[in-house]
Amino acid sequence: MMENVEAVEPLPPAAAARWKTLTSSLPTILWNIGVLLVVLILWQLLTLVIASPFFPGPLAILQSFLDLARNGDTGGNTLWEHSWASLYRVLVGFGLAIIAGVPLGLLMGLYPVLYARTRAVLEPFRFIPPIAWIPLAIIFFTGLTRYAFLIFLGAFFPVFTNAAVGVARVEPIHRKVAMVYGASKLWILLHVVIPTVLPDILGGMRVALGAAWLTIVAAELAGGISLGLGRMMTNYAELVQIPPIIVGMLLIGAIGFLMNEALLLTERYLFRWRWQVKL
Amino acid sequence: MNLEPGAKLTADVSHRFGTFLVHDRLRFSVKENEFLCICGPSGCGKTTLLDMLAGILTPSQGRILIDGKPVNPKRDNISFVFQEPSTFPWLTVWDNIATGLRIKRTPSDEKRRKVGEILDLVGLRGFEKHYPHQISGGMKQRVAIARAFATDADVILMDEPFVSLDQPTRERMQREVLQIWEHRRRTVIFVTHNLEEAVFLGDRIIILSAKPARIVADMPVPIPRPRDPLAPEFTDLRAKCAGVLHALHTSAGEQRSQTAA
Repeated sequence: MMENVEAVEPLPPAAAARWKTLTSSLPTILWNIGVLLVVLILWQLLTLVIASPFFPGPLAILQSFLDLARNGDTGGNTLWEHSWASLYRVLVGFGLAIIAGVPLGLLMGLYPVLYARTRAVLEPFRFIPPIAWIPLAIIFFTGLTRYAFLIFLGAFFPVFTNAAVGVARVEPIHRKVAMVYGASKLWILLHVVIPTVLPDILGGMRVALGAAWLTIVAAELAGGISLGLGRMMTNYAELVQIPPIIVGMLLIGAIGFLMNEALLLTERYLFRWRWQVKL
Repeated sequence: MNLEPGAKLTADVSHRFGTFLVHDRLRFSVKENEFLCICGPSGCGKTTLLDMLAGILTPSQGRILIDGKPVNPKRDNISFVFQEPSTFPWLTVWDNIATGLRIKRTPSDEKRRKVGEILDLVGLRGFEKHYPHQISGGMKQRVAIARAFATDADVILMDEPFVSLDQPTRERMQREVLQIWEHRRRTVIFVTHNLEEAVFLGDRIIILSAKPARIVADMPVPIPRPRDPLAPEFTDLRAKCAGVLHALHTSAGEQRSQTAA
């Protein structure tokens, strides 16, 4: 029997670790809330000085928010229906981008020759912003298809590129370990390549989600179905009502932020083996 | 090639990279449960030789047989302890040790038993749930050794596994490997450039020349274990090996100066 004389970082019980994280981040949370309140109060005070319908204060915006949430807009659609319509389109396009981007990226990463030979076709697409596709999308597609298509274009490349680049990070020694035990190519793909590339893929997904959210608002602003946060904002722009527009903007920010946080939490959970991440 | 009686592994290989000859007819066999040490100057293609023995590199000429059949990692049970850190950072100590068993599709209760036994043997009990970044370099190498011994391998190949460890850790690990080997008799081929290590560990020592590598000495180590590195028989054998390597150096040097002239 051998003794363990080497120094080892002990694993704290999970609950204690969580408590420690909470107590250490509490002051930061309080600071954020405090700064937010100060800004809101200053803004409200400013509206007393500049009394104009073109400069609504936080209270007017809150009023508009409650009104939109309860009674809906001029067409009777509530804020939730608009938000869900946008979110649904994003999720469909984003999901398709992952389904296509991850396998294609892995393929290109595993067989760099494929990428080298198709580069001239693939790369220029990366530099056409999804927004530039809106005119064509308006001609060829309607409804969900149009939005999903545009979001797919925005979300595909971050996922694809990160997956392809991540493959290069696979350590030859890890592949060799598996080969010595007689592992199949599929085993190496599932148990060596994918765990190595996963952090890059999730990083790509976060970028992609940002791009998707940006695209959906632009696509909805450009017209189409009367549901969606972007659409709602354009309607109120035509009516020159500022508070509902700001409600739409803030909601877009909040939903994007929450989705990003959800992905960050997933990353932290999945990659707790990485020393960079302290839980 | 004839199979020597009692041989677990028989090698008869020459290898070239392009036109450059790396191994010049290396011929040797290893008996079942024998601990063979292979020594040689740096750059004599030791790692290449181990890759061929593991069946993940095909020699340009000749064959490697395990139990009389050409080596095949899918059929034969081979383990490899590498020089550089080779644990998977995303797996816990337990899952790392179980890797070979998992690839070999060992039933889960048997897998649990085998990993449990080897955990005790290498003294990693209590660290099963740790990730490699949470343990020291010596412990990581112990995980790699445990992984190699967990599969009941026919042949365990070790490529200078302790070269990156400090001297006290290195000495402790050498004793630990012998202990595990005595518990779990396996055929071991251990590559090192450290003669003291070779004499301390091996039943037999093969000395290779620089490229193109040939076998210049193949000698048994008739010293009973545990071996004392300060005993005269130990130091004598070590000096003898050092003499062989030194002679190689000087003759290589003469060759070089001759070609230069």
